[in-house]
Amino acid sequence: MCAERMPNPDVLIVGSGIAGVLIARQLGRAGKKVLILEAGEALPADINGYMNTFLAAPAKVPESPYPPALFVGKDLTDPGTVNAGRPTVLSLGAKGKFGDWQDPKQAYLIQKGPLAFGSTYERLNGGTVRHWLGTSLRFVPSDFEMKSRFNRFVDWPIKYRHLKRWYGEAEKDIGVSADVADQNYLGITFSSNYPMPKIPLSVVDMEVEKAMPNLKVAGVGLDGLKWKVSSTPAARNSQPYQARRVCAGNTNCIPICPIQAKYDPSVTLAEALRTGNVDVSYKTVASKVYVDGNGRVSGIDFIRYHKDDGDPVERGRLTAKLYILAGNAIETPRLLLMSKSEQTPHGVANRRDDKGSVGKYLMDHPLYLAWALTPKPVWGYRGPLSTAGIEVCRDGRFRRDRGAFRIEIGNEGWNFPIGDPDTTTVDFVNGLNGSKLNEGSKPLFGDALTTALNDKLSRQFRLGFLVEQSPDDSNTVTLSDQFTDHLGLPRPQITYDLSEYTKRGLAAAKTTATAIFNSMRAEEFTSKPEADDPSTFEWPPGQTTRIKYYGSGHIVGTHRMGERSENSVVDSFQRSHDHYNLYLVGSGSFPTVATANPTLTLAALCLRTADKILREDLR
Amino acid sequence: MTGFTRRKILTGAAATAAGAVGSANLTTQTAAQTAADDADRALFVALSAALTGIAKERLSPAVDPVQINRQYFDQAKTDPAFDGLMQIIRADPSNPAAAAEKVLSNSDSNIKYLGRSIILMWYLGVWYAPKKLENFNSSPPKPPYPPPDKVISPAAYTQGWTWRVAQAHPMGYSELLFGYWSKEPPALDAFIK
Repeated sequence: MCAERMPNPDVLIVGSGIAGVLIARQLGRAGKKVLILEAGEALPADINGYMNTFLAAPAKVPESPYPPALFVGKDLTDPGTVNAGRPTVLSLGAKGKFGDWQDPKQAYLIQKGPLAFGSTYERLNGGTVRHWLGTSLRFVPSDFEMKSRFNRFVDWPIKYRHLKRWYGEAEKDIGVSADVADQNYLGITFSSNYPMPKIPLSVVDMEVEKAMPNLKVAGVGLDGLKWKVSSTPAARNSQPYQARRVCAGNTNCIPICPIQAKYDPSVTLAEALRTGNVDVSYKTVASKVYVDGNGRVSGIDFIRYHKDDGDPVERGRLTAKLYILAGNAIETPRLLLMSKSEQTPHGVANRRDDKGSVGKYLMDHPLYLAWALTPKPVWGYRGPLSTAGIEVCRDGRFRRDRGAFRIEIGNEGWNFPIGDPDTTTVDFVNGLNGSKLNEGSKPLFGDALTTALNDKLSRQFRLGFLVEQSPDDSNTVTLSDQFTDHLGLPRPQITYDLSEYTKRGLAAAKTTATAIFNSMRAEEFTSKPEADDPSTFEWPPGQTTRIKYYGSGHIVGTHRMGERSENSVVDSFQRSHDHYNLYLVGSGSFPTVATANPTLTLAALCLRTADKILREDLR
Repeated sequence: MTGFTRRKILTGAAATAAGAVGSANLTTQTAAQTAADDADRALFVALSAALTGIAKERLSPAVDPVQINRQYFDQAKTDPAFDGLMQIIRADPSNPAAAAEKVLSNSDSNIKYLGRSIILMWYLGVWYAPKKLENFNSSPPKPPYPPPDKVISPAAYTQGWTWRVAQAHPMGYSELLFGYWSKEPPALDAFIK
């Protein structure tokens, strides 16, 4: 039945996330026949179902609106019982506690440590960009040239100038609101304008901005920097765009915008379907890629199911002229590694010797989170989750020694750090002090309650530091030889650590956060992490002081691009070095993670790839 | 017509009809029960206003398409200590503030913690069972706290008062317009009084 949807497609794409659907739409518009295999649920008529699931969810985490269900009763769903499992932030708990990060009955990823990989993803129509924030920053030119400029890591096989045009195209495609005058820092140049005016700064942003002239940060390579708050380019409508509404500041970009003012890939998926040349087989999991004697991909096995926890209803093999894997930087290497054969003894696109790079160099932006109370109200919990950041610290000579970072200013009070306003409300009603805001742990009610809560909640804000992680070949996605999903496919196994370079970046973030709070005369409340938290490390090494990091949802590396197959998997157009008719697309192709949220760059790369395919492969 | 709501008139009409038609006893009983329930619910709202610090007219507005107070009343009724709690406000319905004091300082911890559960229900749209709150106090968890026992309903989340006390709106439920976040919000009283 799956094969009957579209006999003899030109292109078979695995994954309907932003990477897959941007390419599918471009090819569909050019008259090419494209069949997409999507592991998860079909595109619904509207988002009301997901929205209601979110509203009713007791734990409003990034994954909460989307299937498969996170909970069975009060327990997390056993990932071994569902056909298209995915990680959740709820399963990053300490050993032996709720959501134990290494309990395969609670955690989809088989985490081998030594540290926890904190980022999660979705497997359904639209992919993980369903729950993204919308931040659409360009990389700075140095980000493509870490080896040349800082003698660190590798250069990309392309430079900023090669992507400049495609950044502009991507900004139009996904609808980015920004002002070029605010974004031309650190060598970024533009050949096009943004399609919509910028999103206004929040009162929180303006309060941080006031502190910039007097800010001094010592000892982390940022001395003498002219600090500045910049509005953040966002795929969020400041005008009606793509027949979608203007942002109403729902403060809910993650996990779901109730009015779809924020771009998500269902927009592009719908455009792709409207070409009449693109079709999708949902709840269809790609399970093996085949390569023929000439080194060309010859087919992909699939397994289709109806119920999230039901048995398969169809198995088969699909063929096309060209194959594009657009899972994500964990599911794509998983599929490649599941595809071992005589032709591909170490998996597809992974060389015939044991020197392939598939699954290696897994990266994220380990995020340092710091929170404080301002001296006077700034009224968080209003507006998009973030409207501005500090970008001038994303590049500099310090990158020889430590990871760079960008700083995201949050508009959602202490929701991210401590689950507020719920935690503080429970504290003041029930006489607790988990928030540290109810000194004396006195229970309040009536006017005393509203006065105290208003005073605290209206002065909360937080900063998030997205730290550049080094690409390390020891950080890997491999296959579990013990644990499978409900289809019997091996689950992804993650080995993950932070290098000294990355840890120094996080430590610099901690120093900078405190300096910013001091400059604002804000009172810092960043809590000390627990020793059993798997997302923490001692700093300096051997000390009892710990630093906690969070996942940013920016899963990068694992099929990186480069000139040669000795140290990379794809070329600059994301074509496999080993197999001419196979492309591996998405943030998995990034050789380095830089500091900008990756979606705009991966979108630009994918538009460039689609152009190449139409010019050369499918002329 | 002061004091006559549409509901009271209908109740009166039902009673008249029951007097004329013997087989309508059941209707009479149901109507009487409804009236008692309505009276109790009104007291529950009055007590809730004193507990929460939110004006009674905000908790149960004259034009109220959501009627969240009914869901909260029904949820609170499921607790074994509910009758004891209601006895306190019934004893002196004219002084909800005093009743709130008595509830929250009650020697019966079941009533005390039920009072706290009710405040949290209005603030967060969720149900923390009184026993759970009592356990929190004896063994304080670290934030973020364990999830509540129940989200009352999707609508309840959108009616949470903690967001209004922050001069904001529930995350995911803005009724405001583009760019409002760049300006100061109205004063607190405009949200809760």
